[in-house]
Amino acid sequence: MSAPVVETHSLAKTYGPAPVLREVDLRLLAGAGAFVIGGNGAGKSTLLRILAGLEAPSGGHALVFGQDTRNLAARYRRRIGVMAHQSFLYPNLTARENLEFYAELYLLSDPRAFADQWLSRVGLADHADSRVRTFSRGMEQRLSAARAMLAEPALLLLDEPFASLDHDGAEIIASLIRGAIERGAAVIATAHAVPEIEGVEFDVYEISRGLLAEQAHKEEVRLSGRLRSLLGR
Amino acid sequence: MSGFAAVLRKDLRLELRSGESTLALLALSMLVLVVLVFALDAARVRSVDAAAGALWVAMVFAGMLGANRALLAERDNGAIRGLLLSPLDPGTLYAAKLAAALIFMAVAEVGAVILMVLFFNLEFDASIARLAPILGLGAIGFSALATLLSAITGRTRGGDMLLPILAVPIFVPALIAGVKASGAALAGAPLDSMGDWLKIMIAFDVLFVTAGYLLFEHVVGEQ
Repeated sequence: MSAPVVETHSLAKTYGPAPVLREVDLRLLAGAGAFVIGGNGAGKSTLLRILAGLEAPSGGHALVFGQDTRNLAARYRRRIGVMAHQSFLYPNLTARENLEFYAELYLLSDPRAFADQWLSRVGLADHADSRVRTFSRGMEQRLSAARAMLAEPALLLLDEPFASLDHDGAEIIASLIRGAIERGAAVIATAHAVPEIEGVEFDVYEISRGLLAEQAHKEEVRLSGRLRSLLGR
Repeated sequence: MSGFAAVLRKDLRLELRSGESTLALLALSMLVLVVLVFALDAARVRSVDAAAGALWVAMVFAGMLGANRALLAERDNGAIRGLLLSPLDPGTLYAAKLAAALIFMAVAEVGAVILMVLFFNLEFDASIARLAPILGLGAIGFSALATLLSAITGRTRGGDMLLPILAVPIFVPALIAGVKASGAALAGAPLDSMGDWLKIMIAFDVLFVTAGYLLFEHVVGEQ
């Protein structure tokens, strides 16, 4: 059996006295997908930030590729793609310039070719030379997805990837997620409710701030089996 | 090296596109020089000493603005997180940001020196050329310090106000050395005669650049 891409043990995070995550145990293998659902402030984004190495947990452990996320070396960061609420894009650069810049940071062989390829994939080829500040929220979201997936990461962390998207945009992102899983990447995405992505089976974890604050978290993250059966309809 | 070049190229491209930093730096330098040329009593202060002081005041203000601007673009849309998530080494990111701030400051310095010569009735002669290494050392030290501190103050409310409060006191020894060396250079003294001042500036440059390179990761780490 292959080693898990993501593994957390009793993961906890507090901001001041307020617990946001408690006793979170999560395990994800390569080629598997998981949706973390919950309301605003439930701790979904915090969980992704910890897995990306952007925040240190207050307790427990978060391992990605077997490495503690507190100190991820460059060769492991290279294998993680993150799509957050903020797009990480430069408004005064064009769509192509943004992707070329990130392609250079990820040491891709032909940044221009990668940028053009991904602009086509997210349906923005006609806007390649437009500055990002002129983009709608949905277009920026699609470009952000391209930025996250540019280097074909082995782990994708997607924070509400379908927010602000119209039907066509959501189809594009769903297709990219499906493609990532098919090529063997592990995907963790958050949402307020479980979205439908045809042809892909996800584990679903529910996070609720009240439960996290008062109950052992292990119970709620084990909801996956029940929720997965709902998805299998 | 590729990451360094990519970040520097991106910063210069953004600056060339907007021109905001360079114009602001030049305008600020001009304002400081104009105020000081009228405020200082020419009968009591040697013009070369006054010019050197005015030049360094302009340089410090320009340096703070330049360093703030260099990191400002990274705060839009959380781009700094995109950089921290990439394989780019934080030390390399600091070096690229320092290089960008240094280039903006060098452009402002050239403008400020021209204005200083005009406002203080100096001559464009060899003494101006002797200023180049002194201003270069000052620009490296101040950019290194301001780039590191702006990464800290940028995370706090009212951080723009906090930067001068933190940066200027720390930079004072190098500032005094720079003003003294510049005054001597403008008065026609050879570089050899200001060796002690230059050594102080070199020491502070090494200190600030090393501290910035090593500490940048920790000050931008958890955004």
